[in-house]
Amino acid sequence: MKKKTLSELIQELRENEHIANWHEIEPQEARTRPMPESVDPRIKDALGKRGIAELYTHQSSAYEAVRKGENMVAVTPTASGKTLCYNLPVLQQIADDDSSRALYLFPTKALAQDQKSELNEIIQEMGIDIKSYTYDGDTSPAIRQLVRKAGHIVITNPDMLHSAILPHHTKWVSLFENLKFIVIDELHTYRGVFGSHVANVIRRLKRICAFYGSSPVFICTSATIANPRELAEHLTGSPMRLIDDNGAPRGRKHFVFYNPPVVNQALNIRRSATVEVNNLAKEFLKNKIQTIIFARSRVRVEIILSHIQELVKKEIGPKSIRGYRGGYLPNQRREIEKGLRSGDILGVVSTNALELGVDIGQLQVCVMTGYPGSIASSWQQAGRAGRRHGESLIVMVAGSTPVDQYMVHNPDYFFERSPEAARINPENLIILVDHLKCAAYELPFKEHEEYGPLDVADIMEYLVEERVLHKNADTFYWANQSFPASGISLRSASQENVVIVDQSDVANVRIIGEMDRFSAMTLLHDEAIYLHEGVQFQVEKLDWDHKKAYVREVDVEYYTDANLAINLKVLEIDKTKERRAGSLHFGDVTVNAIPTIFKKIKMSTFENIGSGPIHLPEEELHTSSAWIEIRQVDDDIGAKTLEQLLLGIAHVLKHIVPVLAMCDRNDIHVVPQIKAAHTQLPTIFVYDHYPGGIGLADEVYKRFDEVRDAALNMISGCPCKDGCPSCIGTEMEGSDLKRRSLRLLERL
Amino acid sequence: MSSLREKMNRLKGIKPADAEDQAAASPASADLPEKQPVQEPSASEAAAGGLASAGPEWDRHGVKLVANEAGDCLERRITLPLSHRSGHHFLSEWAGTAGQLGAFHPEAGEAPHAENVLFLDLETTGLGAGTGNVPFMMGLAYFEDGAFILRQFLIRHPAEERAMLQELLLLLPRFRWLGTYNGRSFDWPLVQSRFIMNGFRGTPELLHLDFLHPSRSIWKNTLVSCKLSHVEEERLGIFRTDDVPGSLAPALYFHYLAEGDPDVLEGVFRHNEQDMVTLACLGIRFGHLLAGAIGERMPMPEENEERLRTGLWLEKMGRTADAERLFAMVEASEEPAPSAWHSLAMRAKKTGNWDRAVVLWQKAAACMRTALIPNVDAHVELAMFYEHKRKDVHSALAYAEEAIGLFACRPHAYRSAKERAGQEALLKRRDRLRRKCGGGGGRHAGG
Repeated sequence: MKKKTLSELIQELRENEHIANWHEIEPQEARTRPMPESVDPRIKDALGKRGIAELYTHQSSAYEAVRKGENMVAVTPTASGKTLCYNLPVLQQIADDDSSRALYLFPTKALAQDQKSELNEIIQEMGIDIKSYTYDGDTSPAIRQLVRKAGHIVITNPDMLHSAILPHHTKWVSLFENLKFIVIDELHTYRGVFGSHVANVIRRLKRICAFYGSSPVFICTSATIANPRELAEHLTGSPMRLIDDNGAPRGRKHFVFYNPPVVNQALNIRRSATVEVNNLAKEFLKNKIQTIIFARSRVRVEIILSHIQELVKKEIGPKSIRGYRGGYLPNQRREIEKGLRSGDILGVVSTNALELGVDIGQLQVCVMTGYPGSIASSWQQAGRAGRRHGESLIVMVAGSTPVDQYMVHNPDYFFERSPEAARINPENLIILVDHLKCAAYELPFKEHEEYGPLDVADIMEYLVEERVLHKNADTFYWANQSFPASGISLRSASQENVVIVDQSDVANVRIIGEMDRFSAMTLLHDEAIYLHEGVQFQVEKLDWDHKKAYVREVDVEYYTDANLAINLKVLEIDKTKERRAGSLHFGDVTVNAIPTIFKKIKMSTFENIGSGPIHLPEEELHTSSAWIEIRQVDDDIGAKTLEQLLLGIAHVLKHIVPVLAMCDRNDIHVVPQIKAAHTQLPTIFVYDHYPGGIGLADEVYKRFDEVRDAALNMISGCPCKDGCPSCIGTEMEGSDLKRRSLRLLERL
Repeated sequence: MSSLREKMNRLKGIKPADAEDQAAASPASADLPEKQPVQEPSASEAAAGGLASAGPEWDRHGVKLVANEAGDCLERRITLPLSHRSGHHFLSEWAGTAGQLGAFHPEAGEAPHAENVLFLDLETTGLGAGTGNVPFMMGLAYFEDGAFILRQFLIRHPAEERAMLQELLLLLPRFRWLGTYNGRSFDWPLVQSRFIMNGFRGTPELLHLDFLHPSRSIWKNTLVSCKLSHVEEERLGIFRTDDVPGSLAPALYFHYLAEGDPDVLEGVFRHNEQDMVTLACLGIRFGHLLAGAIGERMPMPEENEERLRTGLWLEKMGRTADAERLFAMVEASEEPAPSAWHSLAMRAKKTGNWDRAVVLWQKAAACMRTALIPNVDAHVELAMFYEHKRKDVHSALAYAEEAIGLFACRPHAYRSAKERAGQEALLKRRDRLRRKCGGGGGRHAGG
């Protein structure tokens, strides 16, 4: 069989009746400026050898800004040469003055490793003795000493900075005394809980720099988001120059929306996006076109992976199609990344883990299983396909969720709307207190010392009473036996992950991955089917006390899906707004969550083929929430209908809120209650899924009109008759719920 | 403020009632040892001449005020006469043994003398070398003018640390050597870190005499722990009474910080004081050892294992003749010492002394026939020796077969993954030897 080219496949796809929209992005010529005069000839030569004689406009602007000592954030799409935005000024500075030091922060170890390899290649060609090292959990003790004393460029991650470098800053004197630059790559990943933590780590870093008399310049790079400058300023506490004059060339891109056919007219149910993705991907892979497939959950990744491996095993063999997601061990990931760059791996199915700048080269086709949840995220995933020259194709296969259908029917909304803003809340009380402890551990804290916008003296006094600090004259000193950083994880509420132990081979029991505690409740309970690299495992025993899940390889035709029961108590009401048919509140709540049952779902047909109970202890969470209490409802509404009405509206909000607040769908939860415990009124809660809250619910409270209007649009714009999975769900029949939902929302 | 408090407690999961309970059961009283009866300072303790009083509550403990350009801190100064004895040793032995300790740093080309060694022991507020771990007590000691001078500096609050470090800085130029227990990786890096935190730079480096290292080399297999308090009881004959363990020191200090009562620190002073005396005794002990005085000024180790370890350490320190003397005793021992014999055999193997090695392996192997948990290392070595060196495949096979038989006697719990791999290798070896022994399957020699 003759292989088809990408152009041929694009032509064929154009004929496909399920294409809902075809958008072409015109190629762009490179815009360049000459290499600045001030660049060291050795650097010029090294760049020349790699075919870089001129700079793209954004690289040139970045260089000039940094040379002037300005903090800056450069917004750069994938493959636009963003690393030169920071490497050039940094290398130039070290070439000028050998004592200069730079600290590079990457969100993951993998990205740091990539960067070191790339950097060392250039340095070697320059012929200047510049030492760059990664410093992470894998760095051997012998090398650590060398890095601390002699590393010009130290490449690390925020977690390492937080728990290993800052609390031991006296070992890093030569770095901190001479620190000229702090590079923050992938700035857009520092949002939500993680970003709020990192903003505090950077405050601590700046304190240490000030102690050693340095005031480094921040150089940040970000993918496209609505507020790169605001985020960079919030994260670093420093004024920023925005650089967004991208001058990199790009080839023609086709961005296609694909809507699976309707299989049940009345209920407006469409064929599963997963099935369509499998078939589309198969066509590309059979023709040896490198393709990346994105899926939204770990489970989905594994399901698609096993399907595609099966579909194409005759043509190309299953080893050329791999999965990629959190929970794989690092060396496994490295191997997959390398395979993608070299072309040995033809296809990869990934969660948003590959949205980040992990270097996997540029692929030709990107297929998304459903709308990734935000416009920013969509563009980052789309950026994985596309070369500087030649065509590339991005296919977004819509799911039946409200947001997916909205996007497919309103392509202008997608292409014209600016991407979402990234938000952080470094003043979250829990996060703030945790980092104040670390800060006081690192250096005694002066009474009137500034630390972010809040006056933290109250918190310091509180910590004195708790006997964590000791106050003498105007200074707070750490006065506790513990090491505070070890108990604080930047990534999640809980430090403890559940380790997944494969005991299929009794003589060779091994750890195959890990998972955060909350996800483990619903994904690793007893009898759950856990998928890892396309292989099915059944959980034989979840040892909750020791945080271990023992699994055994199985071969079954179903996967499992667990239910979580949620109980909410209002602790304190901070803000209230009266609405027409009810009132909107913001305050603190306690959430109690307990997994109840799991269902076994047949893989080929997605039908429910059985269920079982889950026995795990309850998890408790104190957080902030926005909630809407409904006082007036139509008189003729029965309790059953009212419940369905709330479920329907909650269903819509669940999809809209993460889009508006730009957060992961797991960061914010929506829970309807027919009788809220504190008022007995029908209520819908929207709460931050993080202890103490991270500002998302507050955002919903402040922007409630926007949320409500988007919900109204979504329901009224849906073509279904009376509720479908794409709007208010299909839990109910014949109650005129769509109209009732609209009526209720209008009055809120 | 109250709302912040409520919020903090709520986030911590403490209900208001619990919070009160917590406050009531304040950490102070419960687990701390009872206060020591305050003793009248002895004549020697009062020798901290020239220092001002820090108040009557400190005077009772012989603690005085120190003031220097960096501020104030406290000092408790004790002078012990050389006739002072702690356990087996007299402090007067130091002058004759200190010079031997030069063997710790042959590259330095010099040896310590009695008065240029500074002993150092810190009591800190926590563990590790993080910047929040503060030494609240710094014990320094040295020999001077026919006496052992102990100087214990204490800070009344963290702001006095600078003054305490300043005292150390003033003393350092007088010394060339630093005597510690684990000071190489703990006390001294911490001191350096504190210097940096307090803005002192370019502090002098001393030559380390870290007595933890030889203690581990010599006693790691014969003592249950190489903690200083255990080593001193087992090997130096020093028994402390009413000692406050070092692990309690941080809690006591925090208690003092909160309450301001110096009496709670009494035990910490005494603990730190004995630590420094023990340091000097360890120096004397290792000095004797290096001087070849084993069995004379210090007892001969009772166990073969310890004799072996002592010999290996002496060999490493360049005292080969003394080492050989110990090795010879181990080899000639009537007591079964299979692991020591095996170690010596491996040493002989390295130097190509096969005859000696084989004799030792055979002695070790013989012990295994009656051992409860047999070890087959010597057998394996012998099998290799006969197969490759002697080309005597029959003897080699006999040892391999016997090893396999012994291996089967080992309880399951003692079989590590590494051992299982060893067993695999052994089976392969046996099969190969059987083939070499002349065809067929070969008979099972051992059964």
